[in-house]
Amino acid sequence: MTAALTEKKPGLRDELISLLGTDQVMESALERHLYAKDSGVYTGNPTLVVMIHNAEEVAAVVKAARRHDVPVVARGAGTGLSAGAVPEVGGVVLVTTRMNSIEHIDAENRTAWVGPGVINLDLSNVTIPYGLHFAPDPSSQSACTVGGNIACNSGGPHCLSEGSTVNHVLALEVVTDEGAIVTVGGPAPDPIGLDLRGILVGSEGTLGIVTRALVKLTPNAPDVRTLAVAFPTIEDAAATVSGIIAAGLIPAALEMMDQLMMQVIENWLHAGLPIHAGALLLAEVTGVTEAVDAEAQIISRIAEEHNALSVQVAVSSEERAVLWKSRKSAFGAVAQAAPDYYLHDTVVPRTSLVEAMRQVYEIGKRYEITMMNVFHAGDGNLHPLMAFDASVPGELDKVKAAADELVQICVEQGGVLSGEHGIGIEKRHLMPLLFSDVDLDAQARVKEVFDAEGVFNPGKILPEGSRCFDFGRPVPEGVWV
Amino acid sequence: MKNPFGAIPVADTEALPPAEMALAPTSIEETAQALRIATDHRMKVLVWGGGNHQGYGHRTYPDVVLTTTSLDRIQVWEPEDLTLVAEAGVPIAKVEQMLGEHRQTTLLPVHGETATIGGALATGLSGYQRFRYGPSRDRVLETTAITGDGRTVRAGGRVVKNVTGYDIPRLMVGSMGRLGLIGAVCLKLVPTPSTAVTVTVDDPAAAQAALYRPLAILSTPTEHRAFLWGTPAEVESQAASVGTDLINGLAWPAPPSGLMTWSLRVPPSCLQEAIDRLPPSWDYVAQHGVGLVECGTPDLDLQSALKLREWSESQGGAMVLAGGPETLYEQMDPWGTPPNGLDYQRRLVAEFDPYGVLNPGRLPGGI
Repeated sequence: MTAALTEKKPGLRDELISLLGTDQVMESALERHLYAKDSGVYTGNPTLVVMIHNAEEVAAVVKAARRHDVPVVARGAGTGLSAGAVPEVGGVVLVTTRMNSIEHIDAENRTAWVGPGVINLDLSNVTIPYGLHFAPDPSSQSACTVGGNIACNSGGPHCLSEGSTVNHVLALEVVTDEGAIVTVGGPAPDPIGLDLRGILVGSEGTLGIVTRALVKLTPNAPDVRTLAVAFPTIEDAAATVSGIIAAGLIPAALEMMDQLMMQVIENWLHAGLPIHAGALLLAEVTGVTEAVDAEAQIISRIAEEHNALSVQVAVSSEERAVLWKSRKSAFGAVAQAAPDYYLHDTVVPRTSLVEAMRQVYEIGKRYEITMMNVFHAGDGNLHPLMAFDASVPGELDKVKAAADELVQICVEQGGVLSGEHGIGIEKRHLMPLLFSDVDLDAQARVKEVFDAEGVFNPGKILPEGSRCFDFGRPVPEGVWV
Repeated sequence: MKNPFGAIPVADTEALPPAEMALAPTSIEETAQALRIATDHRMKVLVWGGGNHQGYGHRTYPDVVLTTTSLDRIQVWEPEDLTLVAEAGVPIAKVEQMLGEHRQTTLLPVHGETATIGGALATGLSGYQRFRYGPSRDRVLETTAITGDGRTVRAGGRVVKNVTGYDIPRLMVGSMGRLGLIGAVCLKLVPTPSTAVTVTVDDPAAAQAALYRPLAILSTPTEHRAFLWGTPAEVESQAASVGTDLINGLAWPAPPSGLMTWSLRVPPSCLQEAIDRLPPSWDYVAQHGVGLVECGTPDLDLQSALKLREWSESQGGAMVLAGGPETLYEQMDPWGTPPNGLDYQRRLVAEFDPYGVLNPGRLPGGI
C-alpha cells in the first residue's frame, strides 16, 4: 500500500455511501482539502473523508477500505502537530468528532466511558459536579479530542504530577484491522495478560481505531496556588526548576516562557506579564491549604536564591485563570510575529535544561529563525517555536532543517524525539538517532502483529525499512522466513 | 547432558527449582548469549529473580533456570532528575535503602530482602502507594529487554515524558517474562516528603471521602488504616480529620500468607463487597480506592476461591492465584478466564520469543 492513492476509488466510494449515506461521506475537492492536514506543516491527500458515529460504522469502513486496498487514517479535531492524522499516501480519513458522547460517569470508581470525539475540556467541565476532572490538559484542550489524546499519549502542563494520557486510560474499545470490535483493559486494577491497552495508547492510530475509552478521573484539588516568578535569565529559571525537583517537590505544573514569548503574549492579552524579565516561571501547587501554602513558600525561597526579580502568588481563581490563559494561548499570539509557526516538541533530562536551551538559541541564531520558547520545564519537555513565513521560498526547508538539529541536540543530551506530540511523519526519519536496527525492528513487529497489511495510518512513526529479518546470525534450523 | 552454554557462569542451585542447568549471567550481553544458545537448542528457560512471585502464572518445567541475581548493578542514578537505571536482579529492598537516604523511592513493593526489581515488574506488582501514585507501569520509562531469541531491545527513554515509538516498556510490565527478560529498566522516582503517618480509622469509606489523595487506605481482618505523607502541617490536619490513633511513619501491614495466596481484583466500588465475600478464616490486605485484595488462606478451600473468581470476573475483575502447592495448578487455571485480544497476545509473544524458549506458557491462555 505504498503507491499514491490520489485518484478516487469509485468502488469504495459507492460502498461507503451505501453503508453510511451521502451526508457522512465527503468527496469534493474542498472537503478533501480541509482534511488534508493537521495543525503542523505537512499536507496529504485524502481519497475520501467519512464522518462516523459508532464502532459498527468504523468496523464497516475498515472492512470496506481493506477490501479495496485503501488505508484508513483516523482523525479527531486535527490539532496534532506531527502529521499523525495526515493521509500521506491517500486513504479514507475517518473523522471521530461525532463520537462525542460521555456515556457513563462513575463517581465512585472515578471513571467515565467516553467516545473518542469528546473534547478534552468538555470532559473536565462535565465532571465538575462530581469534583473530578480528566488530568491530561494539552494547550489545545478546548479543541482537541480524547481520541487524539490517546493516539498521541498527550500530556499538558499538569502531566508533571499526574502523568500523560496513558496513566489515565483503563480500557479501550478498539476496531482491529479485521474490523472486529474488541475491548481491552478493564475497570479493575491490573487486568491479566499483556497490557494491550497500554501499547495502543500513543500508537498514533497505527494499530487500531479507538471507538470508546474508559478513562480515569482525578479528584479536583481543594486548594491551589499559582506562582509567577520573573527571572533575569533563562538559566536562573532553569536552575530554580532543578532546585524545586531536588528539594523533593513535584508541583502540579512547572512552566517556563522566555522574554520574546512573553512579549508577543502581552501585546495580545495584556495580562501584566513581566516583559522586561528574561524568563517567567509558572509554578502551580495543588492540595490541601496547609500543603499549598508550605510548598508555595518553598518555591518562593528557591526562586529567590536564584535571583528571582519578582514573585507573584495567584490565590483567586480569576488571577490564576489569567496566568494560565497567557500560557495556553501562547501559540495563537505568535501570529503577530510571523504568519506561520513550527511548534517543536522534544525532551531532555531536566538537569540538562540550561545546556539544551543554550543550544536552542544558538540554532535559532545560526539559521536566522525567530525562536520563542514556552514549555514544560518540570518535565524537561521543550517546545521551541519557530515563527516564519511559509510563502517565502526556502523558509520552510530552513525551519525543518533547524527542527532536525533541535532533536539532535536533545538526543545528545540524553533526551528523546517527542514528549507529547508524537512522531507521525514529522520525526520518523529521526528514529534511528535514538534506536538501533534491532530496537526499530521490534517496534515494526508490534505494528505487524496488529496490522500486517498496513491498513491503519501507514508510514507513520517508523521509518521505511524498520522491519529487518536478519541480524547477521545464521537462521536456526526449522525456521522459515 | 553436555553444557552448551560455554563460559556463562553457572548458578548455585540450592535455592532454585530443579532443572538440567542453572545459569547466572553477569551482564546483559551474557544473558543475550545464553538465550541465543537456548533458542538454538530449543531449551525452555525459566527466569528466576528472588523467587518471591513465582507463584503467579502457569507452571513452566524448564530445561534451564536463569537467575538474575548477578545482574545486580545500579547503572545510573540521577537524584536531581529523579531517575534510576537498574538491572533486573537488583533487590528492591537494597535500592529502597539507598534511595531512602536521599528521600526518594521507586514505590515498588518491598517483599522481604530478596525480591528483585525485574521480578516485581515482570509480575506487574505495585506498592500500596498506588492509590496516590498509580501502578508501577506508570513509572517505567525505559526497558532494555532480552527477547527469547536473544535480541537486546531497548525502548522508551530516560526522560519522564516520552512518546517516541510504541510503548514497549509498558508492555513488558506484567508480561511474565514472555516478551523478554527485563535486563535493565529506567524508573521514574518519587521524592519522599518529610512527614509520614499511619492513622487507624473506624470507617475506611468515610476516610476516603474525607482525605485528599492519601497514599493508601488499607483494611485487614483486624483494622483499617490510612497512610499519609506530605508537609508537616498538611499531614497533621489531614490525620486529625480522620482519627486520633497515630503511628509515625508508614506502618504497612505484613502481606497475607497461607497455604494459598490470591490476588483479587475488582473495580474499586466493589471492594467492600469483595471483603464481605471472603471466607472468615482468610487473612487479607484490601486496598480501598484501588480494588485489590491480597488474600492468604489457612486451608486449601479451592471452592471458595473459585466462587470469588466467578463473582470478580462478573464485575470485570479477576481472581489470580499468587501461590500454593504445585498440585493446585493442575486442578485449575491460575489466571481464570483469559482476557480479550488473546490472538494479539499470542502473536506479540511469537514476535519476541519465536521458539517458545522464555517462560513458555505462563501467561493467561497458556501463552
